[in-house]
Amino acid sequence: MSIDTADNRAGSGGLDRHRLRDLATGSVSSIAVTLVVVIGVGLSWIGPDFLSQSNLNIIGSFVAVPMLVAAFSSFALLAGVVDLSIGSMVGVSSCLTATLMTTAGWPLAAAVPVTLLTCLALGAINATAVVIFGADTIAATLGMLVALRGVCYLLAQPMGSITAFDTDFYTFTNLSAGPLPLLFVISIAIIAIAAAIVSRSRLGRHVQAVGGDDRAASRAGISVARVRFAALLLSSLGAGIAGILYVGQLGSATNLTGTGLEFQVYAAMMIGGYSILRGGVGNPLGAALGLLVVAGTANILDVQAVSPFYTNIIVGLLLLAAVLLDRLRGGDSYE
Amino acid sequence: MSDAATTRPMPVGRKVLLTANLPAGWGTASLVAGAWLLLVLASAVHRADFLSYQTLLAVAFTMAIVGVLAVAQALVGMSGAILDLSQPTALTLAGAVVCQLLGMGWPIPIVLVAGILVGAAWGLFNATIIVVGKLNPIIVTLATNFIGTAVMFLIFQHIQAPIASPVVAWGQGNFLGLPNIWWPMVALVLIVGFLLPRTAYGRHAIAVGGSRFAAQARGISLKKTRFAIFISSGAIVGLASIMFAASNGPFAPSAGTTFQLPVIAGVILAGVSLAGGRGSIWLILLSVGFLSTVPTSLVFFGLSSNWQAVFQGFILIVAVSIDGWRARRLQR
Repeated sequence: MSIDTADNRAGSGGLDRHRLRDLATGSVSSIAVTLVVVIGVGLSWIGPDFLSQSNLNIIGSFVAVPMLVAAFSSFALLAGVVDLSIGSMVGVSSCLTATLMTTAGWPLAAAVPVTLLTCLALGAINATAVVIFGADTIAATLGMLVALRGVCYLLAQPMGSITAFDTDFYTFTNLSAGPLPLLFVISIAIIAIAAAIVSRSRLGRHVQAVGGDDRAASRAGISVARVRFAALLLSSLGAGIAGILYVGQLGSATNLTGTGLEFQVYAAMMIGGYSILRGGVGNPLGAALGLLVVAGTANILDVQAVSPFYTNIIVGLLLLAAVLLDRLRGGDSYE
Repeated sequence: MSDAATTRPMPVGRKVLLTANLPAGWGTASLVAGAWLLLVLASAVHRADFLSYQTLLAVAFTMAIVGVLAVAQALVGMSGAILDLSQPTALTLAGAVVCQLLGMGWPIPIVLVAGILVGAAWGLFNATIIVVGKLNPIIVTLATNFIGTAVMFLIFQHIQAPIASPVVAWGQGNFLGLPNIWWPMVALVLIVGFLLPRTAYGRHAIAVGGSRFAAQARGISLKKTRFAIFISSGAIVGLASIMFAASNGPFAPSAGTTFQLPVIAGVILAGVSLAGGRGSIWLILLSVGFLSTVPTSLVFFGLSSNWQAVFQGFILIVAVSIDGWRARRLQR
């Protein structure tokens, strides 16, 4: 779609119309329809309480941090380098922040930059393996996923969890902005910024071009390696911020913090139109809607006291449906 | 990525000539064997009692199930289907069926066949979605693994083979000084490694993995090959599930997850390219042997078992980095 990006500054009006049509027939609209269906099911099964302020608060604070992770890692997916390590990266960030605060007695203001730099350094290992050595992205970041979970267990020894309570931070992460949690509103804002970068800025077009066809992008003068390296760093930074926010929300970190988050986020993003195998497709708005669909489904089943495993089954089926739909719409077919 | 590289002529340097005279995979083999030897030497220097019969038993025991699963994963990888991420579900599903049937007192031969058939049926299930939907195996198996584990959790939380069963006695016994479950693994690796280049099935699988268009032009059916690969690799997971049920205590539906990383690392260390078309099954003995020594070595270095994940993860990262580096050099 945007292979000819670099020189495509003329005729942006035509491009916009094109984009509007894409929005109406593309993955974002089908995920929006799915979200409407979920809300419809919620309203008819649970009743008006589904959209009550307290329930929206529950959904909002549940989905806020994953949405932040999605906004940051969407660039890696767009650039064609999926980062599976984010689940454990969130865990390491949580455990490290809590260790620095509690065991080492550091103030939050000192723990945060050290944690973020550590996550960036770990992201740089991912990026070095993938971009410089040409390692398979899925396998390399899967290795990092497992390694960092081990680090979480080591950091959280011997109790398995570390209490780290900072009153101001706790208050901040649990603030409300009108009817919704503040963190949720912030995440939505970050998603909106990411969406604007992807569809409006030159940087976003470059990332899309790299993910869509790296050879064409490099012929157009884009540094493929630099874009991908930066995208992987950004993804680890997002996970780092998310882990710190979890410490604020929960007042502690455990060796299991963030477990399975990578699947939750990427399944939602794939339902929302991203691909973990092919870059250049997807929109942060789709990711946000995908996460809301999953969170809404989980919430409905939770309120109705249905086993949470049904959520996993529904998410798995939605995922298959989404990739099938993507293929029927002209995406990659595998033979 | 490196468009200049594609137009560059093939270098006929000393390295290319050197490798041309040696059997394929020797570089990988010597690399892995060297790493294994280094690990054993370092552990033995640190603690001389590392070189003991107990260590051998522990390593061989760890190798068994990982090795069998690695053969199944290697078939999938070589045929260009990248990875089967649903192996954990297939393993615990077939293992649960084995435990249940044993508990119901079914005759052992029938139970063993049932375990293998459940694995094969799971492969058929995956292959059907992949072939009919024309969907990428990695996403399909990611989804079916998620769905399968969740469905199992709805049915049971823990399951275990009856302790009095001869299958359990076999799973904990030794033969010629090594664990019983080690022997089927070695036999499987040797047989599959021998047959793969010598049968139409194996040649088709590797041809499809190398280039599906070239394979199609030669009249090889992609669909048939996909079905054959997933069904046979599923059946191999079924075999692993019997060994798993026989040698493990009670297990949860998610128990198979712990095998995923060592299996993928073992396959990649054995030189199986995730891009398909390349790899040696026999090398799995070396790569899995190396990876299975890591946990025991860590114990002797006084490191907690939490370090195991850290080491295995980083070994995988290094392995895929070497794999990627080599693939790039080959392209040039």
